Amino acid sequence: MITCRAITKVFAMGTAKLEALRGVDIAIEAGEFISIMGPSGSGKSTLMNIIGCLDTPTAGTYLLDGREVAGMTFDQLAEARNRKIGFVFQNFNLLPYASAYENIELPMLFNGKSARQRRQRVEELLAQVGLADWRRHRPSELSGGQQQRIAIARALANDPPVILADEPTGNLDSASGEEIMALFNGLWRQGRTLVMVTHDPKIAAHSQRTVKLLDGRVVA
Amino acid sequence: MALKLLPLYLSEFRKRRKKTTLITFAIAWGTLSILLLMSFGRGLSTQFGISFRGLGDNLVMLAGGQSSVIYQGLPKGRRLRLYAADVDLLRAGIPEIQHICVESYNNEAISANGKETNRNVHGVGPLFDLMRTQVPEAGGRFLDADDELHSRRVAFLGWKVAENLFGAVPAVGRQIVINRTPFTVVGVLKQKMQDSMYQGPDAEQVYIPFATYALINSQPYVDRIHIQPVSRETALLVESRARAVLGRKYRFDPGDKYALNVWNTIKDAAEVGKIFKGIEVFLTLIGALTLLVAAVGVTNLMYALVKERTREIGVKLALGARRRHIVAQFVLETAFIFLKGTLWGALLAYDIVALVRTIPLNYDNFGIESYLTRPVFSLDIFLLFLALMGTLIFMAGIFPAMRASRLNPVEALRYE
Repeated sequence: MITCRAITKVFAMGTAKLEALRGVDIAIEAGEFISIMGPSGSGKSTLMNIIGCLDTPTAGTYLLDGREVAGMTFDQLAEARNRKIGFVFQNFNLLPYASAYENIELPMLFNGKSARQRRQRVEELLAQVGLADWRRHRPSELSGGQQQRIAIARALANDPPVILADEPTGNLDSASGEEIMALFNGLWRQGRTLVMVTHDPKIAAHSQRTVKLLDGRVVA
Repeated sequence: MALKLLPLYLSEFRKRRKKTTLITFAIAWGTLSILLLMSFGRGLSTQFGISFRGLGDNLVMLAGGQSSVIYQGLPKGRRLRLYAADVDLLRAGIPEIQHICVESYNNEAISANGKETNRNVHGVGPLFDLMRTQVPEAGGRFLDADDELHSRRVAFLGWKVAENLFGAVPAVGRQIVINRTPFTVVGVLKQKMQDSMYQGPDAEQVYIPFATYALINSQPYVDRIHIQPVSRETALLVESRARAVLGRKYRFDPGDKYALNVWNTIKDAAEVGKIFKGIEVFLTLIGALTLLVAAVGVTNLMYALVKERTREIGVKLALGARRRHIVAQFVLETAFIFLKGTLWGALLAYDIVALVRTIPLNYDNFGIESYLTRPVFSLDIFLLFLALMGTLIFMAGIFPAMRASRLNPVEALRYE
């Protein structure tokens, strides 16, 4: 599903150059659940951004579902994010002015789905994350755990094969964190590919395997 | 595709309405200022036109003069007079004449209703009313061809004369005595703006048929001959031809400026009209510059709005929004704010113009207020404004929108 070969990413900071990734090789099979761990500055966020098509590598090849990502245009990357990947962020990143319903609907609007299809799918997802009664509420009216569940429902809107989660439980209490992990486990069992960045070994323990990064290299 | 996003755009805009209030207000204020400037500028030149036409519409007025050069052996300093017969001569010699009419006047004692006063009494030919903007009040009429043909003893009074002699009582049908001859009043001049005159304002004058005037006054020559050319463009041609035709008859040099007194109102109007048009253009320019400043302000505010929404844009990009989705949203929002602000500003400007126009004019004394209290809010002004404002606001909106769409999703998501 995801194949990274000799990925490097160099950021130019004025005249200085910062090598965030130095030849990373990762292969993630469809249906795998892996976690990426590493200290701050190890390059795990940069790797997530590249896997998530939010950024492109400086060198190396990245095949997402068999397609080379490196040469894609801005809008092609947008399309890949829209159809292949669902994002779950540490700070939820819900639109503050939109209701739970509208937040979940958003990726489908960019995908051109009909109003009927959208309504059906949003209802389905609200039920799946157990927040059917909260559809009209804005993010500020929901608890952290509820917000993250809405964010997961949003990530699933276009039924993408890959879910990328960046510290999904980082801003939650442990009970809510467990609920979210239970949801992720459910998604994995349904056959989705899950890639999760975390600091927390307990959370990482939910995954099948862990990739450790240090100074832009895979160390384990 | 973007059409499907319209409900999303609308709902987001509605929820963020309060944040755009300041921009809407700025646009409304800019709209109000420039529309008022333009309306007052237009009103100024319109009022000038009206008050200038108070004297007459496209008139070339001839009066006798004094020769200032020796011509065909005749000395300079000869007094030259015009006569009623010159009308036929001029008409025959100048095909560009549309209307022509004579006028003579003299100060006479007038009495009526037990009151007595001295006024200029004018003997005027038919069509004088048309050429010199003599509009009667309701219930009356001006002198006509029949009055002239039968030398009727009928009079048309300036409104101040009527007021002076009869007060609030209607003057039409009443008797007045001019130079011991009784006349019937057939009409009273309606109030008008008049900024140019030769024997005082028309409000103070009394008009009788020229044929009747000749019976009570023995003056053999006429004081003025009024000519209305077929078009404004022929005004100068008519003037020079009149000098030539009369010069042949009275033997003066057609190039002698003093032999014939010519008041060419068309030439004057064109010159003064340019000044007023200049003022109008100047005011519009000031308005446009004001608008430019406003547009810079709006651009700034739009940039601030975009910046504030950086994170939100990042989220949308992460979820698969294309560039055009982001651009379309900001352009539509700008357009909507523009429409809203413009609508409010234009409505307010329209109301202010309408309100100012209700201020009554003082016909006794045309001060600056008679030029300033008649602003004109016309469609062409509004369309010109829309084109100007639309361009500026579009530019104010498109650049922030482009910037928004070029954001790097990673950086946008990290934005706090």
